[in-house]
Amino acid sequence: MLITAAPPATMDDAVSAYHVYVTARLGELRQHALTLKAAVGNADVASARQAWLAAQQCWQRVGAAYGSFGDLGDAIAPGSRGLQAGSADPEFSGLRRIEYGLWHGQGPGELVPVVEKLLADLDALDAKLPELAVDPADMPLRLHEILEDAQRDHLSGVGDQGSGMALALTRADVEATQEVLAMLAGLLESLKAGYPAALDAQLSQLAAAIDATKTTEGWVAYPEVPLAQRQRVNAAIGRALESLALAPALFSTDD
Amino acid sequence: MTDPAPALAAPDRKHTVEIQRRSFIVGAGGAAATGLLASCASNATEPPAAKLASDAAVPFRGANQAGIYRPAPQQQAACFAAFKVLCSDAADLKSLLQRLTVKASLLGGGHKASDALPAVELSGVTGAPPVNSGVMGEDVPAAGFTMTLGLAGSLFDNPAYGLAAKKPRGLTDMKVFPNDQIDEAWIGGDLILQLCADSSDMVHYALRDIMKATRGQLQLQWKINGFHNAPRPEGAPRNLFGYKDGVVNPDEAEQLVWIGKESSQPAWTEGGTFMVVRIIRMLVEFWDRVGLGEQDNMIGRHRASGAPLGMAKETDTPDYSSDPEGTTIPLDAHIRLANPRTKETAGSRMLRRGYNYELGVDLNGNLQAGLIFTSFQQSIQDQFEATQTRLANEPMVDYIQPFGGGYFFVPPGVRDANGYLGEGLFA
Ligand code: HEM
Repeated sequence: MLITAAPPATMDDAVSAYHVYVTARLGELRQHALTLKAAVGNADVASARQAWLAAQQCWQRVGAAYGSFGDLGDAIAPGSRGLQAGSADPEFSGLRRIEYGLWHGQGPGELVPVVEKLLADLDALDAKLPELAVDPADMPLRLHEILEDAQRDHLSGVGDQGSGMALALTRADVEATQEVLAMLAGLLESLKAGYPAALDAQLSQLAAAIDATKTTEGWVAYPEVPLAQRQRVNAAIGRALESLALAPALFSTDD
Repeated sequence: MTDPAPALAAPDRKHTVEIQRRSFIVGAGGAAATGLLASCASNATEPPAAKLASDAAVPFRGANQAGIYRPAPQQQAACFAAFKVLCSDAADLKSLLQRLTVKASLLGGGHKASDALPAVELSGVTGAPPVNSGVMGEDVPAAGFTMTLGLAGSLFDNPAYGLAAKKPRGLTDMKVFPNDQIDEAWIGGDLILQLCADSSDMVHYALRDIMKATRGQLQLQWKINGFHNAPRPEGAPRNLFGYKDGVVNPDEAEQLVWIGKESSQPAWTEGGTFMVVRIIRMLVEFWDRVGLGEQDNMIGRHRASGAPLGMAKETDTPDYSSDPEGTTIPLDAHIRLANPRTKETAGSRMLRRGYNYELGVDLNGNLQAGLIFTSFQQSIQDQFEATQTRLANEPMVDYIQPFGGGYFFVPPGVRDANGYLGEGLFA
C-alpha cells in the first residue's frame, strides 16, 4: 500500500511522485486558463490579470525548468527572447504573451485567440503526459534549475512582460523546489547526511525574504522593492543556489 | 656583426617556466625583489618582465593590512566593492570575517591546482562544480594580489552585532561637500573590499571567488573597477586630466596613517587606519577645451614634466613662502590648497592611493570617467575633511563631480596563522 506521506525511497518512486504532482498542477492550470478566457472575453482586465497570475504561478509550480516537457512544455510559457520584433512579434504566444497584452492595453480581439491556443497546447500536453518519460537524471537538475531560472528570468527583470510579478513567480518557484526537494529528501539524506535539512532551511529563509516584500496592496515590482529587502532576497536565493548546485553531483554515478 | 634581434631569440623554456612559477615578495622588500627579478632576467634569453610581475606575492600578514603601504608601487588594477552585510548575529559576522581572511591569504599567496586547500574551501562532494572559476587558469598566480577590508559606521550601529562600543571615533557617514552630486546608487554598504592586483583578470577572479564563498552573508551594493597607468614617460603615472598624480605622498615613517598606541581610539583599532573613497567624475571633454596655461594653474604643476610651476622636476618641492602672492603657483591651485606646506597644515596630509575609472557613456554623450580617489589616514576629520574643506571652491571644481564613495575603518593586519581580520571586535 502506498503511504503518501513517506518520501520516495528510490529515484523511480520520486519520478512517479513528480508525475502525479505535475498532473494535478496541469489540471489546476487548465481551470485558471478557462477563467482567464472568460475574463479576457468580457474585457475584464482586473480579473484577467488575476487569472493570468494564478495560471503563471501554477505553471511555475510545475517546475518545468529548462524545457523539461519538450516542445509541448515550451509552448505554454515561452519568453520573447530571440524574436525579431520582441514582445510585439506575431510568433510570440503562451502565458507571457497574454501577460504582455494585459499590461499593454490589448483587448479580446488580440488575446482570445492566444488563450485558445494556450488551452489547446495544455490539452496536447495533458494527453501526452502519460507517455512523457521524466529522465531520472532530470530530477536533481530540476532541484537546482528551477531557482536558477527564477534568478535568471524573474529577478533579473528579463522575463517581465509588464506585470512586475517577478516576486510572485519566484515565490511559486520556491514552492516547486520545495516539492521536488521533498520527493528527493530521503535519497539526498542517504547521500549526504544533513543536506536536505540545510536546503529546507535555506528555502524557508528565501520564502520568508520574498514574503516580507509583500505590501497590503500585494506584490511589488522588483525594482520598486526597497534595496534592503531586495538584498535579503538576493542573498537568500544566492545562498540556496550555491547549496543546490551540489545536488546533481551527489546523484552522479561517474566517479 | 652582432645578432640584430637577441631579444627575439627563442627563450629557454625550462628556465622561463621555473621563474614564472616562483613567487616573489614585493612591498616591504620591494628593492630586494627588484634586484632578484633583474638578476633572473639577465640569465634568461628573454626577460619576461610582465609575466614575472604577475607571480609576485605581497605578504598578507603583518601589523597592518596590505594594499595601503604595501606593495610600495600601486598595482595596475583594482576593484572597490561595497557590500551590505546580512549576517544574522555577531557569531555569523565573525565567521564571515574569518572566511574573508582565508580568501585574502589564499588569493594573495597564489596556489597551484595540486596544492591542498583548506577544508572550508571544499564542498566535500565528488563531481561538484569546480571550486575555482578557471579565469586565472588552473594554477592561480599571486599576481600581486591584495585585499584590503574596511568597515563602515553602519556595521557598528547594527544592534544585531553589538559592536557599538567598538566603533572607531569619527567613523561617520560620508559628508556631503558643497560641490558633491551624490547618487544614492553609489554610496552605502557596511563593508568594503579594495581588491588590487597586477592584472584585471586577477581582480575579477578574486571578487567572484570571494562573493561565491560569502553568498548569503554579503550582498554587493556598488562596485567600481579602476586602473593605474604606466608612467608616461617616467615618474608618477598620469591621471585622466593628463597630469602626473601621486607625486607627493607622506612616507610611512611620518606616521600619518596607522592608528598608534597613544590615540584616543578604542584599543582594538591600533594598527588600523581610516579609508576614504570618493568616486569623482572628471569632465574630460570640458577639460580638453581649456588652454594649457589655465590647466597648469588649476593644478599648480606643469603638465609635461609634472614639476611644480616654475620648477624643473616633478620631485622638486614648491616653495610657497617665497611666493606669498601666488605669482608662480596661484594661491588657489589644487596642490597649494591641498597641501599649503605650513606647520599648521602638516598634520592634515594623508596617503593617496587612487585609481582611474571608466564607466561607459553619460546621457549627454560624454565619457563617464574619472578618479576613484582613495586616501588613508589616522583621522578622517583632521586629514581628509580638513583638506577637502580647503579645496571646496578650487577652480578645478568646475571640471569634477564627486558622486559616490564612503568612509570606512580598516582594521589592523593579521599577525599570525590563527588570527583574522577584525578579531579585535570580538575580544
Ligand atoms: C578628480 C579629482 C582630483 C584630481 C584630478 C586631482 C589631481 C591632482 C594632481 C594632478 C596632483 C599633483 C600630483 C601629486 O602630488 O600627486 C594632486 C595632488 C594632491 N591632491 Fe589631488 N586631485 C583630485 C582630488 C583630490 C581630492 C578629493 C583630494 C583630497 C581631499 C586631493 C588631495 C591632494 C593632495 C593632498 C595632493 C598633494 C599635494 C602636495 O602635497 O603637494 N586631491 N591632485
